[in-house]
Amino acid sequence: MASIKIKTEVTGSVWKIEARAGQRLAPGATIMILESMKMEIPVIAEDGGTLVELHVAEGESVNEGQVVATLTG
Amino acid sequence: MNRQQRLEAEFAAQETKARAMGGAEKLARRKAAGMLNARERLQRLCDPGSFIESGLFATSTSNPADRDSTPCDGKVVGFGRVNGREAAVLANDFTVLGASSGATNGRKIAHMKRVATQRGLPMVFLGESSGARMPDHMGSRGMGMLLGNDGTQYQRMRETPWASATLGLSYGSSSWYAVLSEFNVMRKGAVLAVSSPLLASLAIKQDVDPQEMGGWRVHAEVTGFADLIVDTDEEAIDALKVFLSYLPSHHREAPPVAAVPAGSGEGMRDILGLMPESRTQVYDVRKLVRTIVDRDSFFELKARFGKVGVTGLARLGGRTVGIVANNPLSRGGAMDADACEKLTSFIVLCDSFNIPLVLLVDTPGFVIGTEAERQRAPGKIMNMMNALALTTVPKLSVILRKSYGQAYLNMGGGRNSDEVAAWPTAEVSFMDPTFAVKVVHGIDPGLPGFDKEFAEMDRASSVWDFASVYAAQAVIRPQETRDYLIRMLDVHRLRLSDGVGRHLMRAWPTSF
Repeated sequence: MASIKIKTEVTGSVWKIEARAGQRLAPGATIMILESMKMEIPVIAEDGGTLVELHVAEGESVNEGQVVATLTG
Repeated sequence: MNRQQRLEAEFAAQETKARAMGGAEKLARRKAAGMLNARERLQRLCDPGSFIESGLFATSTSNPADRDSTPCDGKVVGFGRVNGREAAVLANDFTVLGASSGATNGRKIAHMKRVATQRGLPMVFLGESSGARMPDHMGSRGMGMLLGNDGTQYQRMRETPWASATLGLSYGSSSWYAVLSEFNVMRKGAVLAVSSPLLASLAIKQDVDPQEMGGWRVHAEVTGFADLIVDTDEEAIDALKVFLSYLPSHHREAPPVAAVPAGSGEGMRDILGLMPESRTQVYDVRKLVRTIVDRDSFFELKARFGKVGVTGLARLGGRTVGIVANNPLSRGGAMDADACEKLTSFIVLCDSFNIPLVLLVDTPGFVIGTEAERQRAPGKIMNMMNALALTTVPKLSVILRKSYGQAYLNMGGGRNSDEVAAWPTAEVSFMDPTFAVKVVHGIDPGLPGFDKEFAEMDRASSVWDFASVYAAQAVIRPQETRDYLIRMLDVHRLRLSDGVGRHLMRAWPTSF
């Protein structure tokens, strides 16, 4: 089981978390939505997997490239 | 035995030896690992019975002892028909000295490339090689005899399309040809690198993990050297065939025309539903692309690299087009340095092989800030701009939603396209109205007066003002987009030169 680190593509803040730990995510599923540049930018589980851990909470600021969730594939 | 029989027997014996590759044991190990051998790969690639080999009886000659153990000198080359069209093909045979580069196989590759270039044939590389052959290349005599005697070995002028598959451990020449090619498909488990992990470990005194160094994830997501990732040899070879089906055999002809599949354009009536109503919400532009182009014809390239820019080949009304789109799903559509480089190389590919470009625009501009500058954003933005300006194939742009600032020009705004069309949802300005209110009036969102100034800025970005000054040649209903593009591709067909452009970027670097 490979561990997959999910990183943000943008700097912004966590607006809404859509998945919970233990949840099985289909490829392309949204894990959370960030607010950045006045846009709602989703963080996606590109290959799918099981969400092991969320590393951020709603309202928290995130930097580009920050690991915000860990999945197992 | 008469003379005829003696010759037949000798021929058969030589042929059996030449076709033996690295021997039954090595071939069995590959099979067990789920990998095709060089000849099986060629069989998958070429139309049945169409492969005619060049240099079947060539062997290594550097060391007389190798002569019997180096069939084809580790590289099987020849001509085969791929989907009915002639191509020059090269399959590395890793079971023979790791398909390492030697004097004889170097001459075989040179011959294939020369014929491909001079006669207008696509060149296909099935890559899996260990690099320069040792000890043949060692010492000053080895270097002097083996390397650099063909001044055109790594020259690329894009006379004919090159397509490569990275199917195993690829060091040295297999890597060079992969990055010199227009298209490189990579099989999971393969490695593409300058040199082997062993040599890298010796040189930098630390353990090197081959997948970390040159595995599929690195090349799909970090370097962009893999255009497509697949799981098996079979899928990789099929992808080469699909890629070549969009391209002409050489740069002096137009791409082939295909039949239009039934059901094409079926989803156009509901296409607006694929874009959210709110301007702050994102969507996946690839769903719109798939709806607009001929059914199942979208062949995306570099899907995991520079994701904010989407590139792919497709057909509209049976004719090959290159799709360049912003994808709001990633970074809200704000283009970064990676996306610029990806789009630039794709523009060069299309222009070099007479493929019209369709640009689908929804970008709030370029990513700005410290990190963007460190990634050399100005240079990348201008390289892309220059490539677009040097393009001589038809360019059609459709503004779907946002088109702001310099990115407006990079995505074909103004006379950077042959035709600019806009959806009624389009908004065009120098910057997003939210930021413009702050810059011009000093008012942050939520403060008194913001809403009034925002409404004014927003109205001034409307498509109707844009159309009134003829900056858009057409405002089109979203559901008309496919028909509009097909018609405009016909209007702008390069009639005066039989569909052939001027190829001003034929010597543009092949990677970035």
